[in-house]
Amino acid sequence: MASTDCNNENDALEDDPLTEDLLPTSNITFDKDKHVMYFKRCMAYLPEPYTNNDTNRMTLAFFGLGGLDLLNMIETIYSAEQREQWIDWIYAQQILPDKDNPGKLLNTLLRSNVPRLKFQSLRPWLELNRHICGFRGSPFSGLPYSREGCRESRFPFDAAHLAMTYTALCSLLILGDDFSRIDRGAIINGLTYLQKDDGSFTQTYHGMESDMRFLYCACAISYMLKDFSGINIEKCVDYIRRSQGYDYGIGQKPGLESHGGSTYCAISALSLLNKIDEGLISKDRTIFWLLSRQVSGFQGRANKPEDTCYSFWIGASLKPSFDLKILGAFDYIDKEANRLFLSTTQGRQGGFSKWPDLIPDIMHAYMGIAGLSLMDEPGMSTLDCALNISRKARQNLENSVFWQGD
Amino acid sequence: MSLSPYDLQSNYGDVTPIDQDDGPSPIAPIAYSTEYSTAMSYFRALVRNNEMSKRALDLTSEIIKHNPAHYTVWNYRQQILFALNENLTAELDFIKRLARDNPKNYQLWYHRQVIVEKLSDCSNEVAFVNEVLDDDAKNYHAWSYRQWINTHFNLWDDELPFIDKLLNDDVRNNSAWNYRYFVVFHDPDVAEENLIESEINYTMEKIRQTPNNISPWNYLRGILEKSSRDIQELESFCKEFTDNDINSPHAMGWLVDIYGNRAKNGDEQAKEDAIKICESLANTHDTIRKAYWEYRKDELATPSS
Repeated sequence: MASTDCNNENDALEDDPLTEDLLPTSNITFDKDKHVMYFKRCMAYLPEPYTNNDTNRMTLAFFGLGGLDLLNMIETIYSAEQREQWIDWIYAQQILPDKDNPGKLLNTLLRSNVPRLKFQSLRPWLELNRHICGFRGSPFSGLPYSREGCRESRFPFDAAHLAMTYTALCSLLILGDDFSRIDRGAIINGLTYLQKDDGSFTQTYHGMESDMRFLYCACAISYMLKDFSGINIEKCVDYIRRSQGYDYGIGQKPGLESHGGSTYCAISALSLLNKIDEGLISKDRTIFWLLSRQVSGFQGRANKPEDTCYSFWIGASLKPSFDLKILGAFDYIDKEANRLFLSTTQGRQGGFSKWPDLIPDIMHAYMGIAGLSLMDEPGMSTLDCALNISRKARQNLENSVFWQGD
Repeated sequence: MSLSPYDLQSNYGDVTPIDQDDGPSPIAPIAYSTEYSTAMSYFRALVRNNEMSKRALDLTSEIIKHNPAHYTVWNYRQQILFALNENLTAELDFIKRLARDNPKNYQLWYHRQVIVEKLSDCSNEVAFVNEVLDDDAKNYHAWSYRQWINTHFNLWDDELPFIDKLLNDDVRNNSAWNYRYFVVFHDPDVAEENLIESEINYTMEKIRQTPNNISPWNYLRGILEKSSRDIQELESFCKEFTDNDINSPHAMGWLVDIYGNRAKNGDEQAKEDAIKICESLANTHDTIRKAYWEYRKDELATPSS
């Protein structure tokens, strides 16, 4: 709710710890309390219209948990037991290598002089189910729940999904997990089936879609698991270079219109690969393309209306990846104008919507909070932009088993 | 089709539905409609046996109605269509009806691509895309799909007149400008010199109509760079939109680049002019990017090391 009335805020400050951090930097305020309640409601129950995200439930959970994490509320409102149960739920969606997986023949072939391409098409049969390992978005395939994950999946059409694996890893970190139940080898091996010749990735083994979104997910997964051996980095960088438009923004595919979402995916992927200089044809011009998206809030493409989520996609593209060479490109945005726009898309009962006067949804709610966090909104945790997790979750990553082992 | 108790009895009586097991503490559970959860329970049972049947096909239609983003169901549907040798032209109608309510659904576009590829027939496709673009001329999926048709079926000849029409309707349609670039340069060999020349003139004309419209400015710059021309050539053109009552921030931004380049080569007058324009952008004509133009100004004022 956009409130210009500061008096009520001051009254509330006395005894309400939730609003303590909310001393407005201007006369626009964001009602942290209501946002917390909004995310909490979503985590407990999503109404029927979310059915079209049934297979993507893992991402919805990430938006809810991520929002609460940026508001520094995870541990305050959820008991250790509840967090542990959710960690179990996430692990229950992990497809693990089949216990009957032969593997041996494949390993022999991999070490032999037989050209890789010759047996590439046989790999799914040699490996039983290793090509589908990773995380599903929800238990829709009908296997019985097991906190250990599932080893027996050889159902036709069951498969992990890159965006679900990526958001599962993020949510585990948010909940304080250390990745000890992650089968790193299986996930990294799974990636090798998903990269296409042009460098992009499909979302699942049977997937039809392939674009910058899943290239980003593959890079983020490799980065978090500290193993890039499942992806061809040169091909990733080449795909990103070819997807840059004549305006130096980046599209979902070569030839497509420059878009805030795909530009974020590309820049963050380059940042995680440590290839910004190789991947961007002109850093200056890309920065200018990004800055040119500010209207009051941000638009995703030239001459499109501004939309809550681009406060994150564009803002996060400007912030992390350039912080070594071009100090604080993010500081060239008009923060006050951005805050003003976000105040108009804030829901009365918390959350954010895409545009003013629409019903909030969990994705835009997260993006609104993340957009504010980028501008160091008081009371919010700072964001690790390239991974899209809080600094605290980032800390959990650095303490996770694959990072500690090195 | 809907899953009435009668249908369930007569068509799926031999099937034992499998419910979803969400464990003791589900995360962000969705309040499914009964229709959706029933259909999904039967889907789980049929897919487990990889059943390729008409009733399985009907079931996928029902699920897609509730959840058009169910990529697994789409995949299953495809396999059934091919296994049963179904009429794929009818499938195109199914997709078309679905696209009316879900034009931004990823899966239906990719599914259509698979079907059309199988049919090796693109005769309905331009009309299909046009119908979607009529409703939203910036639909990213529709443009992506159109680029695929162009490339896959080598369809290029009618595209420039089509884009002209779109730009006449809305000269700010950046998707159409982007597509124009895609079409003009689709041949990997550099486009012909006279085409470049006519594109430059066309774009300059559009800029004269709407000097504050960023899309043709970006397009023009793209064309110049692609054909290795120097933006310095357009100094006087830019001045058309800065010397009078019109002050286009895009023209001014170009002049900052043009004069900035000259300043690098020691032209003091150019440096002064560039700084002045930065100030005017920062304080009057592009105030939302004030901090950026001030940065550009400082950069100009500081001697480079």
